[in-house]
Amino acid sequence: MRRTARPRAVIAAALLALLAGGCGQPMPDHSPQELRGQGEIGGDIRFSWWGSASRNERTNEVADLFEEEFPGTDVKREAADWGNYFKRLNVQGAGRNMPCVTQLQARTLGDFTARDALLPLDPMIESGAIDVSDIPEPVLDTGRGPDGALYMLPTGAAYDALTVNATLADEAGAALPDGAYTWEDYADFLRAADAGLPDDIAPVNYQGGLPNFFIAYVEGLDQDLFDGQRLGFDKRLLADYWDMWVGLHEEGLTNSPAEVAEQPPSPEAGYVAQGDVMSDSGPGNALTPVQNALDGAHPGQEVVTLPLPSGPEGRTGNVLISSGMSIPRNCDNVPTAAAFIDFWANDERGGDTYASDNGAVTNTRLLQRQLDDPELPDLKKRELALYQEIVDRDPASLLYPPGYMAVFESAFSRAFDDVAFGKKTVPEAVDAFFAEANAGLAT
Amino acid sequence: MTATTAARPPRPPHTTRPPRTRRLLFGNRPTRNPLLRAIASHSVMIMALVLMLYPLLWMVGASFRPDNQVFTTLGLWTGDVTTENYTNGWGGGDQLNFSRFFLNSLTLTVLSIVGNLISCSLTAYAFARLEFRFKRTLFALVIGTLLLPYHVTLVPQYILFNQLGWVNTFLPLVVPKIMATDAFFIFLMVQFIRALPTSLDDAARIDGCGHWGIFRRVVVPLSIPALGTTALFTFINTWNDFLGPMLYLTEPDTWTVSQGLASFLDATGQSEYGSLFAMSTLSLVPVVGFFIAAQRLLIEGIATTGLK
Repeated sequence: MRRTARPRAVIAAALLALLAGGCGQPMPDHSPQELRGQGEIGGDIRFSWWGSASRNERTNEVADLFEEEFPGTDVKREAADWGNYFKRLNVQGAGRNMPCVTQLQARTLGDFTARDALLPLDPMIESGAIDVSDIPEPVLDTGRGPDGALYMLPTGAAYDALTVNATLADEAGAALPDGAYTWEDYADFLRAADAGLPDDIAPVNYQGGLPNFFIAYVEGLDQDLFDGQRLGFDKRLLADYWDMWVGLHEEGLTNSPAEVAEQPPSPEAGYVAQGDVMSDSGPGNALTPVQNALDGAHPGQEVVTLPLPSGPEGRTGNVLISSGMSIPRNCDNVPTAAAFIDFWANDERGGDTYASDNGAVTNTRLLQRQLDDPELPDLKKRELALYQEIVDRDPASLLYPPGYMAVFESAFSRAFDDVAFGKKTVPEAVDAFFAEANAGLAT
Repeated sequence: MTATTAARPPRPPHTTRPPRTRRLLFGNRPTRNPLLRAIASHSVMIMALVLMLYPLLWMVGASFRPDNQVFTTLGLWTGDVTTENYTNGWGGGDQLNFSRFFLNSLTLTVLSIVGNLISCSLTAYAFARLEFRFKRTLFALVIGTLLLPYHVTLVPQYILFNQLGWVNTFLPLVVPKIMATDAFFIFLMVQFIRALPTSLDDAARIDGCGHWGIFRRVVVPLSIPALGTTALFTFINTWNDFLGPMLYLTEPDTWTVSQGLASFLDATGQSEYGSLFAMSTLSLVPVVGFFIAAQRLLIEGIATTGLK
């Protein structure tokens, strides 16, 4: 009896030790001074961001400049593309091993504030460790959590824009929408273009399932997208929106749902960039790669970006999608992390080097420097000019609930696919979406 | 002796020819011309091969096009040919260094193969040949891990390896291989070893071998097809693995080829499809080469372990 009990006890003890070890990842105990971002600047910090090779190169150059500015610091860099970045960050967050400076986006911020994984940056701003005097207050607000504290310092502001092949529109005899055009104006533009476009080119992608397009519709009507952890708009509004898209499709103004499903996600591989569709909604800062791809596919054709459609009262549909930097609670070198964020947000050499690669730089002084730079490519200047135009129209600041991307975006696209492929009627799909989104966001 | 030489295998019973069915290609009468039959069957096979290889050939063709013309055609070849994608992709930026990525992938793959071969074959020998308490229960547990999705253990594993200070080293990806955690290969080798006659073990035991001697001198030499299959699958799995390296190898110096390839794309910025296709083409070379070298072992291994 004793011979069997002993090994079992040893195995059980080993398992318990393993479990305890796994659950017991300690958090650093920050002093009040550290929480204000004050202290010695030096040693290692890890810094993570998303992007491809070209953005990685610029980011590395800025990190090198920081190391030059603060001798004795060493920035360990961790990059990944957008989708995989957040997969890894979620695991790192669960393991309390997020990098000291973690890049986040307003749409994903809620996932981390809900877990209490981030340090508030307000004490660091009050102490002067991070200077935000050149960042407009509405832009700064996009980095706040539900409690009003600032958890992410917005360093770049992206926006979605209507991307139009201006050459095709011109050849079809359709004048580009102007000023604060409405959804009805946009539909008229598509109808006018359709009459003159070649048969194999659709005026618009069948994008009723694109969340950013819908957000513009909701914002234009001055409705709330969210009410806390629930949807803030009513079913009638969504049904009207999807009915509008079904109507455009039935008029022959869109391509097929199958074609839209096959479209690759990166803008330069999309149908507008390949000259197969005249217009679509896309990231405003993708103007340069889209034009570059169009130059290869159809030399001589020109693409332009316009604000998204406005509401009937002229209210802008555009919202700013800010990206920025946060400091997680597990960071054990807060003063250096704060110094890095301050450097990134304010240093002119860093701003010039990064050149608004991930949305327009939020620091107005750095933005003006880039606009005044004669060497900045014209397309990049057009991206920044449209950003300024959108900011001037006072876009709404959205507070995205936790699970926005995992629940809202995926459920929205799937529900519209059911309509587009004829599996559900619009009212059925609206009901299904509301049930899934409200249940998912509430948990 | 006499009995074996005198006995002749019985003739198969005479069977009536099955009724002719209508042939689509050659009418009612099947052709007896072997040349025509060979041409027909080979044509069908070549067409199937071209269909299957077309995406691969398109990727190779696209890797020689200028970056902004990659998606301009579904054809295999265009007028503008460039090798820039290869030079830019191989080491175009300060973070991109495919020499390093290939070396990292190779190191990781070799260590994984060695680890899996040693640990899985030893474990399989124990389950196939030894008698010990709870053997069936333990084997069921090992096989049960096949039902456990990787994502279930992802976070606990990460926490454990992070506590051990192994993040950003090869250890989280290699050490589990040394601990026989790949249940599929254990199962494969157990099946193979069970098929080996135990009389060989008895003969070795009479000659003075212990378990280690039997394993080393009898079982391993006879299990080459199963070991080859294990090595090949481990090679392919490790070479193509992305999730594991992405989680544990965070700094660019430690990246593998699959991470390097992913760095060419990003939905929020500028992607480089030309370089992606160029490096993807190069990354296939070791896999194809290893498969060609080990395909005989793979086929034998699959045929003799009852795997379908």
